[in-house]
Amino acid sequence: MEITLEVNGRTYSIAPAGRRLLAVLRDDLELLGTKLACGEGACGACGVLLDGRPVNACLLFAEAAEGHEIVTIEGLSTGRAAAVQAAFVAEDALQCGFCTPGQVVSATVLLERTPHPTREEIHETMAGNLCRCGAYPKIERAILRAAGEA
Amino acid sequence: MTTRFVKTQKEMEGRYEDVWALVDESDETTSWKPDADLSLVGQPAPRQDGAARAAGRVRFTVDVKLAGMLHAAVLRSPAAHGTVRSLDLAAALATPGVRGVIGPESELSLTTRAPLLQAEPAYAGAAIAVVAADTLEAALAGVAALALDLEVLPHLVDMQEGLNEQRFTTDPTDEARGDAEAALAAAAVTIEFALDTPAHVQTPLEPHAAVASWDGDELTAWVSTLGMFAAREELAKAFGLRKDAVRVRTEFVGGGFGAKQGAGFEALAAAELARITGRPVRLVNDRHAEQLDGGRRAATRQTVRLGADRDGTLTAIDADAVVAQGQGGWVMPVLIPAQTLYRCANVRALTFPVKTNLRAQNAFRAPGVMEGTAAFEQAIDELALALNMDPLELRRLNHADVDQVSGLPYSSKQLLACYDRAAELAGWATRDELRKPQPDGLLRGMGCATQIWWGGGGPPSHATVRLDADGNATVITGIQDIGTGTLTSAQIVAAEELGLPLSQVRVVGGDTGPNVYGPVSGGSQTTPSVMPAVRSAAAKVRKTLLQLAGDVFEIAVEDLDLRDGRIRSSDGAIDAEVTEVTGKLGDATIDGSGSRGPNPDGFVVHTFGCQIAQVAVDVGLGEVRVERIVAVHDVGRIVNPLTASSQVEGGVLQGMAFALSEEFIVDPTTGVPVNAHLDDYKIPTIADMPEIIIDYPHVPDANLPTTGTKGLGEPPIIPTAAAIANAFAHATDRRAAALPLTRARVLETLA
Amino acid sequence: MSGYTRPTSVDEALELLTGEGACVLAGGTDLAGQIDRGITAPALLVDLQDAGLGGIERDGDGLRIGAATTLADLAADALAAPYAVLATAAGLAASPLLRNQGTVGGNLCQHTRCWYYRGEEWNCWLGGGDTCFAQIGDHRKHNLEEGECISAHPSDLAPALAVCGATVVVRSLDGEREIPLLDLYRRPTDDNRSLIALARGELVVAVRLPAPPDGSAYLRTGARQAFSFPLVSVAAARRGDSVTLAAAGVANIPRALDPVDPLAGLPGHPQSAWKRKVLATLVERALASL
Repeated sequence: MEITLEVNGRTYSIAPAGRRLLAVLRDDLELLGTKLACGEGACGACGVLLDGRPVNACLLFAEAAEGHEIVTIEGLSTGRAAAVQAAFVAEDALQCGFCTPGQVVSATVLLERTPHPTREEIHETMAGNLCRCGAYPKIERAILRAAGEA
Repeated sequence: MTTRFVKTQKEMEGRYEDVWALVDESDETTSWKPDADLSLVGQPAPRQDGAARAAGRVRFTVDVKLAGMLHAAVLRSPAAHGTVRSLDLAAALATPGVRGVIGPESELSLTTRAPLLQAEPAYAGAAIAVVAADTLEAALAGVAALALDLEVLPHLVDMQEGLNEQRFTTDPTDEARGDAEAALAAAAVTIEFALDTPAHVQTPLEPHAAVASWDGDELTAWVSTLGMFAAREELAKAFGLRKDAVRVRTEFVGGGFGAKQGAGFEALAAAELARITGRPVRLVNDRHAEQLDGGRRAATRQTVRLGADRDGTLTAIDADAVVAQGQGGWVMPVLIPAQTLYRCANVRALTFPVKTNLRAQNAFRAPGVMEGTAAFEQAIDELALALNMDPLELRRLNHADVDQVSGLPYSSKQLLACYDRAAELAGWATRDELRKPQPDGLLRGMGCATQIWWGGGGPPSHATVRLDADGNATVITGIQDIGTGTLTSAQIVAAEELGLPLSQVRVVGGDTGPNVYGPVSGGSQTTPSVMPAVRSAAAKVRKTLLQLAGDVFEIAVEDLDLRDGRIRSSDGAIDAEVTEVTGKLGDATIDGSGSRGPNPDGFVVHTFGCQIAQVAVDVGLGEVRVERIVAVHDVGRIVNPLTASSQVEGGVLQGMAFALSEEFIVDPTTGVPVNAHLDDYKIPTIADMPEIIIDYPHVPDANLPTTGTKGLGEPPIIPTAAAIANAFAHATDRRAAALPLTRARVLETLA
Repeated sequence: MSGYTRPTSVDEALELLTGEGACVLAGGTDLAGQIDRGITAPALLVDLQDAGLGGIERDGDGLRIGAATTLADLAADALAAPYAVLATAAGLAASPLLRNQGTVGGNLCQHTRCWYYRGEEWNCWLGGGDTCFAQIGDHRKHNLEEGECISAHPSDLAPALAVCGATVVVRSLDGEREIPLLDLYRRPTDDNRSLIALARGELVVAVRLPAPPDGSAYLRTGARQAFSFPLVSVAAARRGDSVTLAAAGVANIPRALDPVDPLAGLPGHPQSAWKRKVLATLVERALASL
């Protein structure tokens, strides 16, 4: 059975075969920026936007994403997302870069909702995206920078 | 070019071996003076690949996709110890989509020292069989079809039990100088401190992964590894191939922290199955496999006895460490802090490497030394308490001016400056103010700890620079940039030497194809090993370029300078873009190759540092919050302060997690780890982050070849846990008998 | 591999749920993990997202919260704000990403995080086996009660809703019943190991709340500062002089606490007894904040 997914403004027909959205993005649509790290919603490396909200694609059944607008890191290259990415580079808010797409997804939404976040709001909103390299101090600074406050 | 062989000592995480090193006698590069006027080195620069990383465009091993690629799934032992009664390889092979299966009894074309697959698995997660299929789902169905029947055998996971039964992976070691026992008996003040430290899992977010593809007798392997040349060596040996018939590609690694050594099981198994099936094979650990079989820092039980004179002079150190090795692995230098951190004539260090039914321990950022420091530096604080001395003062008093084991001088040591700076930044002088009642009801305290590590690097390490007609330079290195930013540091060093702006220099690595050797990303050796090679290669190109400029401008080379992308004459008459010279190259390039010379004889090379932690303790909840860490590390010249501070922050956060929350827990009944998933193995979130204040003495190591840089990967993780535990003791007047300081343990300690 | 269907009404969903192996899919954040660890293998996922179960609306002087309302929506909802204990609990649960996925109904019905129950290597008593491995093994995160299963209840919402006096609206093809929140849970027995008191074919469709309490608070401690399950949490609500307390993490189901003697009946096990101190502290602080 095929379903229709709207990803980064494009429409795809795919056979979900019981898989999660993450597997479909990576294996069928070749959107490899979204990462599999824990596979159980415990790290946020698979973060994508579902109707504008960050979710863990590793837990989302592909069928359940039908009828929703999905945006992956590959669809985030303009406007606020671009500013976030530029700030991540300038502040070195990434080390190995494996968690970075998920971090950028969450940070972009944070700034869309809260253009001038406090440190506490950053911690609260970014707590679902783990970074084992420990880029947190610079992720915080990058978000403040993208908000025009650093 | 005159090249000679020189016998030198090579050091990796404290293990020394004598090797022959190449010395290029035509290399005219001399060390930058401490006050050299450098325009790029020491200035923050964003990563050259930062934009690609931030956009998710970089391809890690897990992202490699090849035409016809098969997916491998591994059958792993569900028990801590067992013997395979039956395994139905035929059924697995008959599963739709399955193309290849290997088990413990399979005839393999690879030859490795240890069997690849286990008929008698000795830990939960040990690989028993591997299935390759068209899809991962089919491979998993194949694994299920294997219908493993495992007879469970008795296990041992308790290190005390292992010690009692004298089960060791290698013989216990007894290292001594002087007479610690006599000195302890004679000491005016003695203390004894015992600490259990937890098993600590590297947990890279990209798990161990490999993709292998054969073209006739040539193998290309994408491996998520910290050592692509080691991986090449291992694969070549295992399959009986020439080195140049194996190409390892490791452009981006999603974290490793020591865990990803060489080819690993993943690349060997993927290559074997690729050979059997004639198709490329991808093998990626799932998270459970990664946590069970990716590696860990071993749990230890350490006891430290110290003796001192009334004035605080250390007279005796007697330390022992029981290390839960698992099935084997290197015995990490847990007692190096006891043996080398302070001046002391009477030292005894006993290490018991206990064999347990866990995976062999492997390297995790500052292996051995970090957990050793966690115990030893708490013992030093206990001594300070017994002496009624300021802990930092006690450390200053016992400063080691020469290496305590060899008696040799250090190549450089700025530890006293680290103490001073850290104390100043942390407000150490008024730390007892923190112990006064606080408005928020929390108990506060401040603690310090000292760091020692190696990190001098050494040969071999090579680099090649090519400058083209457009004035752009490509630096070819053997670096796998695991997230440390080493490629960018190489870019800075090359641009500095070439007199070009950063934008005109690009560094490539992550591929053994060019056969430009670089070391494993471990032991804090990459920067000090690679940067001199890069500098040397760039210096040769610079020299040639200036010679060519002399020809073009008809002026003596000595009158020309190259800086900021421009060639200028000393009289000011010439001020030209580099391209005025390089433009005449056409398709030719100016090439230069450089190599890292040996470290000077007669010195030991170490990094040093001091961290000071401030914590707040909620005694009602048993909760410890780290409020601030001040980290001052002596690592010689800093090439890129932006990525350097990232290394420090990352080390501090991993050290903090070791102190507060991370612990790999093994079920005593079954010997199977209970938290081998990310949902209950708690690595820190951004909300756990303390304020981290970083500085360096900024004194280049004048005795290290040409760049004066030492490594920074390991140092920042080493003292963090000890500093936090010492701050906890300062706040509460209690000291926990084990780490991490979980709510349960804190409440037990305070009860 | 599971089949998938997305009914457009509750009745259609209930009909589908009578099928062999049919399973409710809401946010899926717990279900996906259960499937991946082999705890359950549904034949059919009945996705409730279009069944009209989302949303928070006024209900007399109280609220009706649809079971498919996400935790994020609940945490941010203006109508829910007067129920501070609830909004706080919803905002502290899991992670921001999971709160965008996880639902109220799913949070209440999630399975325990006990590592023996979740781990593929054990078949524990709660999962249908013979042994509670926690009692003979590592139970540092487990509960404080005696019993055959000493797992700890993980829902942040359950104690918060309980102290607000919430009821759960449960529907089946046979009709609708409304039960006090704590009655959604049961002690597992030898012949029925479920911790949820729902019959087959029953579905949580909503939670109903009376008028907001005069004051309320939700306090918790987890293994780290964010993104953790509550090791111990305490919900407190005051109406006039009457205080209601409930906790998660101290029993295998959410548990009401006696404000006078909150530790009563919670002796603890050797490695979990530390939770008693935490519980006492959280109760004291919660009461003080009311």
